[in-house]
Amino acid sequence: MIALLRYQAAILLRSHRWIFPLIGYALLISVGAAGSSSLAEALDWTGAMLVPVVAFLTRAMLTAEPDAARGCVAAAAGPVRAQLATLLVPLGGGAVLAVVAVLFDVLTAQPASRAPASGLFGKVLAAADHPGIVAGGLLIALVCVLVGSAAGALCNPPLLRHPGIAMLSTLAAIVLALVADVSPASAAIGHGTAQVASPLAANWPGPWSLAGAVCLVAVSWTVSVAAAARRDTWSAGAE
Amino acid sequence: MRLQAVGKRYGLRQPWVVRDVSADLAAGRLIRVSGRNGSGKSTLLRVVAGVSRPSAGKVTGRPHAGYVPERFPGGLPFTGREYLLHLARIHGLAGGAGARAVGEWIDRLGAASYADQPVRSMSKGMCQKMAIAQALLPSPGLLVLDEAWTGLDQAARGTLDDAVTERVTDGGTVLFVDHDPARLAGREDERWQFSDAGRVTILAGPAPQAAPQLKTVTVRLETTNTARTLDQVRAIDGVRVISVDVQGPDAS
Repeated sequence: MIALLRYQAAILLRSHRWIFPLIGYALLISVGAAGSSSLAEALDWTGAMLVPVVAFLTRAMLTAEPDAARGCVAAAAGPVRAQLATLLVPLGGGAVLAVVAVLFDVLTAQPASRAPASGLFGKVLAAADHPGIVAGGLLIALVCVLVGSAAGALCNPPLLRHPGIAMLSTLAAIVLALVADVSPASAAIGHGTAQVASPLAANWPGPWSLAGAVCLVAVSWTVSVAAAARRDTWSAGAE
Repeated sequence: MRLQAVGKRYGLRQPWVVRDVSADLAAGRLIRVSGRNGSGKSTLLRVVAGVSRPSAGKVTGRPHAGYVPERFPGGLPFTGREYLLHLARIHGLAGGAGARAVGEWIDRLGAASYADQPVRSMSKGMCQKMAIAQALLPSPGLLVLDEAWTGLDQAARGTLDDAVTERVTDGGTVLFVDHDPARLAGREDERWQFSDAGRVTILAGPAPQAAPQLKTVTVRLETTNTARTLDQVRAIDGVRVISVDVQGPDAS
């Protein structure tokens, strides 16, 4: 499995398909950090924006490998493990981005304590005074990475093979994930809006949002892996 | 390895591409799969290689498989050698063993001069060699070749013929499709003939096209060591000694 992950990660890195999601995310969290009045608020935004980034990273990975090359790998390692590796790599990439982005928020957001903090070190100390805020932010990010992965897996090959339809439905899934009440991502972000009044309150995602996100990933990955093991060509109109 | 009533279709309302194929794939067998274009050969090969799951029936006891697809269009962001090293690891060849196998197959296929080029910049034949090398890296117990000879130069075609023979001699099973009836002619143990509607008839022995190549020739050899000469003649590929009539002073 490690060989498969290395192979897929190398394809993603060397094909430069990660650049647009990364630049997009950097822009989005810079804007978010500038526009939020507290660390908790900045972390909400950081998490929310992981949904589109991970969804498009997943799309990039799912469309990167040619059919013939996938066939060779599937014969060597089995189509199920090959597809799992294809889905795990963008999920892992999203997790790394999430940790980096949370650190960025800690260093740049309004200090978490009422006392004005001086310098980056002061901000880290201020955040360390309120570990709940950072931990809550990381959990929100986790929920959003999972939801983004599920959206990417459901709306792209091998399930949706037409490029236009796949792109539009990925976008639609992202919007739904962020605004629909039933979405674990929107539940995780929206859970603490009542507490925004206090900038010191940690914004914890509800346990149901985390459970929901895990279920969503389990279902969408299962469907995607099953389709990968049955279909030979992923380009639209073939077969 | 065994196929039990294997069928494949791409969707519930789609027609069956392969229908009700049952077969035992014994060790050390060379199997030619033949049929018209679009008759389902490639689909059956992918199911046998484990690239895709059958829609009906099951495949059991599949050994480690190497698969060479019909076309290998590159499109990967690696050099040839990097690609093969990744595939060696995926095939389970760790570190040194993988690098050795990669070097060996690059040399045998005559790809050493461009193995460090990006796969994207390779010609059809060069890409095909990468596809063949990755399948042969682990000395697989099951080798599946979907028109793997297409686009190869003469020397590499010979190497692939030899590699197929090695796999079969080592007790591996080799399935191949090739539209050239002379390809490995006379050496196949079974032919799987596709008829219409995805049905397969399994025939034993070489294809009938190969029959005219079997000729009985009487050869007179002068030698001082009869036994040794006979061994040498028997060792020639494709020659079968049917009867020997020893004449002369040293006859014993």
